[in-house]
Amino acid sequence: MKGRTVCFAFLIAAAPHAIGDGPVDAERARLNYMLNCQGCHLPDGSGVEDAVPRMNGFVGNFLHVPGGREFLVRVPGSANAALDDASLAELLNWILVTMSPGELPPSWVPYSAGEVAELRSAPLREVEKVRAGLVRSIQQHL
Amino acid sequence: MNWLDKLSEKSTRGLAQQTSRRGWLAGIGTVLAGAASVPLLPMARASSGGQPKLEDVADTGDPLSCDYWRHCSIDGFLCGCCGGSHNTCPPGTEMSPITWVGTCRNPVDGKNYVISYNDCCGKTPCGQCFCNTNQGDRPMYRPDKNNDINWCLGTESTVYHCSTSVLIGLAVE
Repeated sequence: MKGRTVCFAFLIAAAPHAIGDGPVDAERARLNYMLNCQGCHLPDGSGVEDAVPRMNGFVGNFLHVPGGREFLVRVPGSANAALDDASLAELLNWILVTMSPGELPPSWVPYSAGEVAELRSAPLREVEKVRAGLVRSIQQHL
Repeated sequence: MNWLDKLSEKSTRGLAQQTSRRGWLAGIGTVLAGAASVPLLPMARASSGGQPKLEDVADTGDPLSCDYWRHCSIDGFLCGCCGGSHNTCPPGTEMSPITWVGTCRNPVDGKNYVISYNDCCGKTPCGQCFCNTNQGDRPMYRPDKNNDINWCLGTESTVYHCSTSVLIGLAVE
């Protein structure tokens, strides 16, 4: 199963135009990551213990549990980012494929600009509480 | 095909007699041990994470001056005047992993580069070379682009000492 996941991630990475509903530019996504995310999540997405959530080797787990897919767009870092919907969708897809390929479900569908627009219009208020619940679901799922 | 067999056998035996397997293993071992030690060398976290090689970026100006292009939005004491440099912390301080990130235009090649303003923390404020250049600085309600914040976050101490301007990437259009 793990092999299948890795193979799928490889295919996605090798076919960048398959991500989202617009063309994906990995350089642009990486620049947007540097300017909007890495100040807190760090260059490799490893986060800071007890302060900034780790994305590297983990964030893909959210796509396995109900509400997790929505959560990744509704968190303040995503919903409030100074990025348009297409750029945010591209950035989220890039983060998932680049930082957490081993955790992605084999059948995951990349975010589209339309989906991101709808989700970020309802930002989360109690982020930590929602996240704790999702992490519990992930632990039960694994 | 007999001649081919003999030729293969002769060359293989010759190779086996003239070369040392242990010597080969020792060589490979040296390379492996050397490669394993490279990631252990001390380095700032801000510059890690698979960024492109930026050492060769065309440069101009004095890193100890507020006008130096990489300090285009710095607010604080230049670490270069405090025993560190424009991208390293002085001894006895810790570089904050959490920072804010902006861009500055390099006057030599006209390109915009991504700059991470990592604060150095753990000693009282340095007090030397104060700069407040503020290009691209946003108000406090946009905290990820604000340089008035004490960015000593995620460090053992939250006491601010000085600021660095670490070049972390090229801002592609």
